[in-house]
Amino acid sequence: KRGLYRKRRGLYREGLLSDDGFRLDGRRPREIRSLRMRLGLFPRADGSAYIEQGNTKVVALVYGPREVRGPRSRSAPDQAVLRCRFSLAPFSGPERRRPRGGEGRGSDLALRLQQSLEAAVLTHLYPRSQIDVYSDGSHCCTGTTAAALAVLDAGIPLRDVVCAGSAALAEGTALTDPNGAEEAAVGPGLALALLPASGLLALVQLSARVPCERLEPVMEAAADGCRELHRALDRELRRSLRERHGEV
Amino acid sequence: MLRTEKVLQLRGQQGRSVRVVREHYLRPDVPCRSGLCRAACPRDGKLLSDDVTHYVVPDCKVVQDYLEILEFSELKGIIFMQTACQALQHQKGRRQYNKLRNLVKDARHDCAVFANEFHQHCYLPREKGESMEKWQTRNIYNAAVWYYNHCSGQMPIVMVTEDEDAIRQYGNETEGVFVISFKNYLDNFWPDLKAARELFDSILQARREREIESQENNGKEYPEHLPLEILEAGIKSGRYIQGALSVNKHRAQLEAFVRLQGFSSKETEIQSDILIYGAKARNRAIHGDVVAVELLPLHEWKGRTVALCENETEDKAPLDTTGDPMPTGKVVGIIQKNWRDYVVTFPSREESQPQGRNTQKVLVTPWDYRIPKIRISTQQAEALQDYRVVVRIDSWESTSVYPNGHFVRVLGRIGDLEGEIAAILVENSICVAPFSEIQMSEMPVSSSKNPWKVSPEEEKQRLDLRATHLIFSIDPKGCEDVDDALSVRTLPNGNLELGVHIADVTHFVAPNSYTDVEARARATTYYLADRRYDMLPSVLSADICSLLSGVDRYAVSVLWELEKESYEILRVCYNKTIIRSAYKLTYETAQALLDGDTSVVGDILELKDLDERMRQKKLAELVWAVSKLTDIARHVRAKRDSCGALELEGVEIRVQLDDKHNIHDLIPKQPLEVHETVAECMILANHWVAKKISEHFPHQALLRQHPPPRQEFFAELRECASAKGFTMDTRSNKALAESLDKANDPLDPIVNQLLRSMATHAMSNALYFSTGSCSKEEFHHYGLALEKYTHFTSPIRRYADIIVHRLLMAATLKEKKGDVKDNLLSNKDLEELCKHINNRNRAAQHAQKQSTELFQCMYFKDKTPETDERCVADGVIYSIRTNGVLVFVPRYGIKAAAYMKNKEGLVISCQGDGSCEWKPGSLQRFQNKITSTTTTGESVTLSLFDHITVKMLVQTSRCHADTIKLEIIKNAPHPTVDMDVSQRNCQRVKCDLVKAVSQSAEAAQHAQEKTRVEVIDEDFEKYCQTKGASLYQLLEEIRDLALLDVSADART
Repeated sequence: KRGLYRKRRGLYREGLLSDDGFRLDGRRPREIRSLRMRLGLFPRADGSAYIEQGNTKVVALVYGPREVRGPRSRSAPDQAVLRCRFSLAPFSGPERRRPRGGEGRGSDLALRLQQSLEAAVLTHLYPRSQIDVYSDGSHCCTGTTAAALAVLDAGIPLRDVVCAGSAALAEGTALTDPNGAEEAAVGPGLALALLPASGLLALVQLSARVPCERLEPVMEAAADGCRELHRALDRELRRSLRERHGEV
Repeated sequence: MLRTEKVLQLRGQQGRSVRVVREHYLRPDVPCRSGLCRAACPRDGKLLSDDVTHYVVPDCKVVQDYLEILEFSELKGIIFMQTACQALQHQKGRRQYNKLRNLVKDARHDCAVFANEFHQHCYLPREKGESMEKWQTRNIYNAAVWYYNHCSGQMPIVMVTEDEDAIRQYGNETEGVFVISFKNYLDNFWPDLKAARELFDSILQARREREIESQENNGKEYPEHLPLEILEAGIKSGRYIQGALSVNKHRAQLEAFVRLQGFSSKETEIQSDILIYGAKARNRAIHGDVVAVELLPLHEWKGRTVALCENETEDKAPLDTTGDPMPTGKVVGIIQKNWRDYVVTFPSREESQPQGRNTQKVLVTPWDYRIPKIRISTQQAEALQDYRVVVRIDSWESTSVYPNGHFVRVLGRIGDLEGEIAAILVENSICVAPFSEIQMSEMPVSSSKNPWKVSPEEEKQRLDLRATHLIFSIDPKGCEDVDDALSVRTLPNGNLELGVHIADVTHFVAPNSYTDVEARARATTYYLADRRYDMLPSVLSADICSLLSGVDRYAVSVLWELEKESYEILRVCYNKTIIRSAYKLTYETAQALLDGDTSVVGDILELKDLDERMRQKKLAELVWAVSKLTDIARHVRAKRDSCGALELEGVEIRVQLDDKHNIHDLIPKQPLEVHETVAECMILANHWVAKKISEHFPHQALLRQHPPPRQEFFAELRECASAKGFTMDTRSNKALAESLDKANDPLDPIVNQLLRSMATHAMSNALYFSTGSCSKEEFHHYGLALEKYTHFTSPIRRYADIIVHRLLMAATLKEKKGDVKDNLLSNKDLEELCKHINNRNRAAQHAQKQSTELFQCMYFKDKTPETDERCVADGVIYSIRTNGVLVFVPRYGIKAAAYMKNKEGLVISCQGDGSCEWKPGSLQRFQNKITSTTTTGESVTLSLFDHITVKMLVQTSRCHADTIKLEIIKNAPHPTVDMDVSQRNCQRVKCDLVKAVSQSAEAAQHAQEKTRVEVIDEDFEKYCQTKGASLYQLLEEIRDLALLDVSADART
């Protein structure tokens, strides 16, 4: 059988979109992966959410609002401090990886997460949350969505449920929600965190080279993915609340 | 949409196996791509035709092994299942997969891809313990059954597979879906398609041989190639260098070079090519492959040969014939194979050893020296002794000295003119089958009884120049495809209006029509020495699109308004127009009018039937127009010259045909001023159109660039010029142009010609490119000294011009912008198209050169060199080598080698009376001359640009093309009548040569046919019907009676 990396090279930019308009896994360019989510899986945490987007599985836990631990200097007088932790389990990804020390609070992903949530959480009411994430492909975005859901589950007021999605550019067509293999071939592309009700963007991160005239379509594609996600989230949320508390 | 999962086992970084889970989505709305579909599948794009008797579904292995046979356009109704396409991609690699994709995209082939793996009802998940092949076959069968039901049983489906279990198991399972083997399929469904069945046998044979060979497991002849990841990592890090392999034609066994490609790494400062010495170092790479090379350590570097040599000698060259050591390396892997069809010849009876078995493995010799011998298996080796055949290479294992291949088809007899020309076409990958019926049905109708007319709708939309403009065309004599016409007139405000009118080909050739697809594949009209293969059918190229005089035609016109004194360009506009050209002049007639020679009036047909007064008036108008045009052209040219335009040989090549469609003249040189006038107007039009389209479509315009040459290529030119005392300043095109103009020897005009020719060789070729792929500085055209340039003025014979026309129309027509823009190509597609056109142009140039050489050899072949004075001519030395000189013979336009030291080591010695002999002695080579000294003390020196007398001999070869060899007769110029006459004679001699050869070929053909007819006559006499009374007659009469209806008689 072919080597994993050889396959990636062979797919490099070609074959991501077949002549018929199908992607590697059979989706059309604007379709997102299948979605499953559950709220309140972990009774011990104040809020928790579990999202499966394709093969990406993310668990988010929220502890708070609670008193600031550690030195007083960390707490801000007028608003809650949001602390995010982002870690990848060793069994995530194609090969088992050694758990790295650098992962955790200081990591790049965690900071991004923090930025997205700070836009949504009404932090002036509370301090401290903690979030753990496990992933495969597009994990940053799924993680953000999971985190937003968990915060919701914890009962912390939010301006809006942050939905994050990404889009990649392959051969001139924008592909919404790339899976692991597509990301390996063309890179993560554009990641977008959207507040769906107002249409405001909490985070936009472009990690690939995109020609100017293509930026619009790619952002549209990512935004489409977010809106689709939001619709699914909304349904699931209502269902779960109904279950827990009777008719709303 | 349903979601399932696929579990794959792949190999990870450290070689351990990795289990990967991938998602797989199934949906119900996969389009079926059949014309018969009643279930409302989307019908955009290519559909399978419904006038076939069945649809055929090939299995994975059939697609992998027999794709060549599926490429035959006679095989219709092919459905490629996605499973089979993916199997092809993974097993055979990108090149084969791209071949399949191109086949499916091509409108001329009736095939389509069906994405069965994504269809909800077709996809079957893999069962536990099921092998990959079985799973694929099961999936394909299931998809075939679904397809049959989807088309409501209207079309039977035939699945072809090599898996015998599958045939047994599924063969009779479903009615309407048949499962048979490929051989069965070909035999039963296509019994008349002999070529396909022969190819099948040949491929099968080759495969079997390969299996046997791999089982025998001989020792390794060559080191293994490194895997692709290591090569790519090595290239990135600079350890390996990527480039295209180029084998030395004259020393093919030993010398090959790798030219650096694109981005060379910063670590290596290699500026020159890399030498690959010997077969082992070449490691099974074939000329044209893209390879990765590792440099050898410094002490192993060798030099390239600088002596003249031929390929017959296999031994290493002696030390004094090699140059300074240059970077040397070895091939460690092949990144991209570029194999094509090769013309080969079987070894002659004396060379091959008798083999016992019926099917023998034969080592055939390719026509191209640079390709190694190929091993094929064929039962027809005996019968095909004297024929040239086409083969393809299958593989080259590391255990085999030669590559393995299989036989494809027969071309023709060795030495037969048609066969040799077919060989030239195959070797250059030129495919010029006659235009298909479907394509001809797209053509508008025009015959002498029903000539084509301008349609009323077009009259309303186009600018009508018929009454207002005096338009005329100037072309070589006998030209049929007139694609450009000129006009100049005075405007009411006193300014001048210059017009260039080009045939409107895009009106008749719609994008993606059959004609367009075929023209794109050809990309240009091919001119060979005696014939021409048109890009468009002649109803267009010679009639409806051609701007003949006296008839209405559609055109695309570029009109400039010029200031009347300074000729400065004030305004320009581009329109679709209707014109009626008034005169179709030849260059000679136009030049005569310019010179004031009115005797040529009789040659101008259009003036014939007028009365004297009218004739004089019209003539005066015409003369004014031609003179004005020439004046404007001079001015424009002067401006270009001041920027450094170069005048080199071979800028525009046009061919004349006489009324018998024989090629009358090949390369008109440009001694007439009117040539320059026309060329300058065309260049102006091209330049302005280039500016317009690149302004409107900054990322999608097709332009033409000429990159400045590298200084090291000018070394030879500088040396040769200094030999005659001229200096060449090559730092810019302006400096070079001035140096070339000054380098003129008044006693010998050939010197300047040769220097210009050397300058041309030092330059790179001009190329087409897409503006989205290059930065602005690279748009520049060095030779013409223009910032932007494109080709616009010959859409009848160049496909690039058709694309430029479409771009211009999209840029200028404002109303219909919507649908016209869709037909434009994206940057990526345009870049690919440019590569294709550049490639085809190169092939056309090679083919023309090779066909000219073919005719030259055939001309000299049957003349006895000793007595025939046509075999002796004057030659000029243009390059010195260590064992001889390179000579240019102006009379025939031949460039060839003349040895001064023959194979036995004797050197040439010239006697007092001027004749030459071979004697023992030695040669000494200097910068600009070479001296031959015999042991008896006589010496003769030949210097650069000396005129000598040479004799033309033909060196025949069984397997390769014949070549001309020169023998030095006298160390003195051969008396020619006078220089000018000899130059003009050059053209006439060329066409005489071509006519003579064509006639002798025809005569040979007739003789062959006559003998065949005679044989038939003999047989006929023996076996024909007896005349007069015979038993046969009697029986015939009785038979006639029996057929009469006796009962009818009885009733009456």
